[in-house]
Amino acid sequence: MNLGFTSTEWIFGTIILDRLNEIHGFQVVANNLGNFAMGAVLTLEITLFSLLIGMVLGLIAALGKMSNNQLIKFVAVAYIDFFRGTPLFVQILLLYFGIIPLIFDATPVQAAIIACGLNSGAYVAEIVRAGIQAVDKGQMEAARSLGMTHGQSMRYIILPQAFKIVIPPLINEFVMLLKDTSLVSAISAHELTHTGKMLYASTYQAVWVWGAVCVFYFIMTKAISMLGDWTERRLATE
Amino acid sequence: MIVVKNLHKSFGKLEVLKGIDCHIDQKEVVCVIGPSGSGKSTFLRCINRLEEAQQGQVFLDGEEVTAPNADINRIRQEMGMVFQLFNLFPHKTTLENVTLGPIKIKGMSEEQAEDIAIKLLRKVGLGDKDHVFPAQLSGGQKQRVAIARALAMQPKVMLFDEPTSSLDPEMVGEVLEVMKDLAHEGMTMIVVTHEMGFAREVGHRVFFMDEGILMEEGTPSQIFDNPQNPRTQSFLSKVL
Amino acid sequence: MKKFLSLLLIVMLAIGMLAVAGCGGNEEEPAQQEPAAEENTITKLVVGSETAYAPFEMVDEKTGDYIGFDMDIIKAIGEAMGAEVEIRSMEFTALIPALQNGQIDCAISAMSITDERAEVVDFSDSYFDAGLIIAVAADTEGIETMDDLKGKVLAAQIGTIGADACVAVQTEDPATEVKTYDHVGEAFMELQKGGADAVVNDMPVTAYYVKTEASDKVKMVGEVFQADDHYGMPVQKGDTETLTLLNEGLAKIKADGTYDAIYAEWFK
Repeated sequence: MNLGFTSTEWIFGTIILDRLNEIHGFQVVANNLGNFAMGAVLTLEITLFSLLIGMVLGLIAALGKMSNNQLIKFVAVAYIDFFRGTPLFVQILLLYFGIIPLIFDATPVQAAIIACGLNSGAYVAEIVRAGIQAVDKGQMEAARSLGMTHGQSMRYIILPQAFKIVIPPLINEFVMLLKDTSLVSAISAHELTHTGKMLYASTYQAVWVWGAVCVFYFIMTKAISMLGDWTERRLATE
Repeated sequence: MIVVKNLHKSFGKLEVLKGIDCHIDQKEVVCVIGPSGSGKSTFLRCINRLEEAQQGQVFLDGEEVTAPNADINRIRQEMGMVFQLFNLFPHKTTLENVTLGPIKIKGMSEEQAEDIAIKLLRKVGLGDKDHVFPAQLSGGQKQRVAIARALAMQPKVMLFDEPTSSLDPEMVGEVLEVMKDLAHEGMTMIVVTHEMGFAREVGHRVFFMDEGILMEEGTPSQIFDNPQNPRTQSFLSKVL
Repeated sequence: MKKFLSLLLIVMLAIGMLAVAGCGGNEEEPAQQEPAAEENTITKLVVGSETAYAPFEMVDEKTGDYIGFDMDIIKAIGEAMGAEVEIRSMEFTALIPALQNGQIDCAISAMSITDERAEVVDFSDSYFDAGLIIAVAADTEGIETMDDLKGKVLAAQIGTIGADACVAVQTEDPATEVKTYDHVGEAFMELQKGGADAVVNDMPVTAYYVKTEASDKVKMVGEVFQADDHYGMPVQKGDTETLTLLNEGLAKIKADGTYDAIYAEWFK
């Protein structure tokens, strides 16, 4: 069990580890790996649930924006414009301290998921809309010419094809969302960035603490992009 | 069977159809010829309302297709359409392309729809390609699947919009062969085409359109051997 | 996998070397420092402060200037010692790293002198005696001491001794939940919207907040505790020159009554 290193590399690594152990910042990071991991897990949880909400809202908003019904269209456009046109950080504070308390008692994590989900939905809506419009116009005509309703054509013909088109931008949104969840540390959701803030405030090891936080974020975003590449290959039919 | 009255269609300021009147009988094969931009395709697309005409009426078996309250989704089931660019569903296999309509629109059982689909695919000469995706087919094969897809809805009439125009020359024959068989079986067909040989051999009547007007109509021999309208004469002298 | 591990190792190593380089610089400096006797050569002080901690530091809504007790004190010290004062607004948790990097000369930000902080920075003489107090919603009964906070939801500002006190309660009773924020204002908002049972924070700040913002919604309970809490101005470890200036300035304004006047303006 040497993780694929040769013995020379292994000895070299051990020497480095000994040297690192003499540095205070390294010890701070090493002793808090469990805390970082817990923060990272919460970051992932917030991201996944937000994305789920975002995808549902995004699909509805995208269809709404393309609707012929002026009221539905107006609501969808207003939603998309607001959440794309204002900073997520401000939305988090507004929702957590201002709007959500009027409706129910939310924990910071619940509020974080709601805020990030609403924000993500607006971006997903534009991704989905672009995806639908990228499907060849002839597909809709072929479906309608068979006698399908607009809804059936969307469901069986357009959306399945749009889905494939939107996977790369959707993965990109997933990565952006994961990074953006760092902002919810402001409402005391104990995710990765908040873990970093707490540790930094008590140890002042800026480079080590924030460096470790970066490494954790990077591992997660890299894993998502790799998952995205894999999905894309699986879905390719041509 | 199909009656068209005073059909007008404009795209913005451009008037594409300037009042078309015609009728097509059951089991009749009508070929529509004419120069590019003459409004042939638009005429065809107005019949099943893929384009909405601004004025005029279309009737199918006495029912007004163009009526605002017409059940267009049901009427379209009775008018199969074949496109220049095939428009097969790329995410579905050949078989699924053909069974999708019967299952989702007519509520047919999967077994029954597949039975029909396999028979139709055999008929168009693609019985062995049922589990292949469109991307793996040649242009001619794609168009034959598209014909099978339209036939699966058991339409009363088939609309062909330049079905061979985007095919490589060596594949045109196989598609025309399928269409010829269909005509011999008594299917009512309206075919917008540049294949003059097909029009002459298979068509019962030929429409010559130019500048949004149905300039001349008649049997193939009337149109091809003895055209009366100077525009028809000039067009045919260029293409024949 | 092997490639990735190697990459990770290289990244860690690079970070490590940066940190080592940083530490080395700090260690050597004290030896080269010479105590500045009577001669004061500093003409400008760059001062860091988290300017969202009324009444010690805040932004004047009308003029946009930084105002507050701390601001008046540091300006008075600068005036007394003939040094220009430039305030740089930053997050509270960024103050000590900024000192270590030399981005600022000193900080004045209602910072309590603690052993942990004294290990990484040097503190001036204390210029304010504070202490912690518990604040609860106006209709809350039964919370008076730290013992009453066990099992409750507590709110505080990240990196403050109030937050340390909350964590100490949590260590005793793990059922306690601690919510921490970048600014104390958010902790008070959490209290007001019912997301927390109590805020633990510096008494003068809490008193000012209750008086000016929420006299009918928030109340202070119990006695001031950790009353040995003294505010000091941190400088980079070994920077005796700045330290001397601050201490001499502070002594001057205390002697000539300026300090008392400022104190009276903000707390009487």
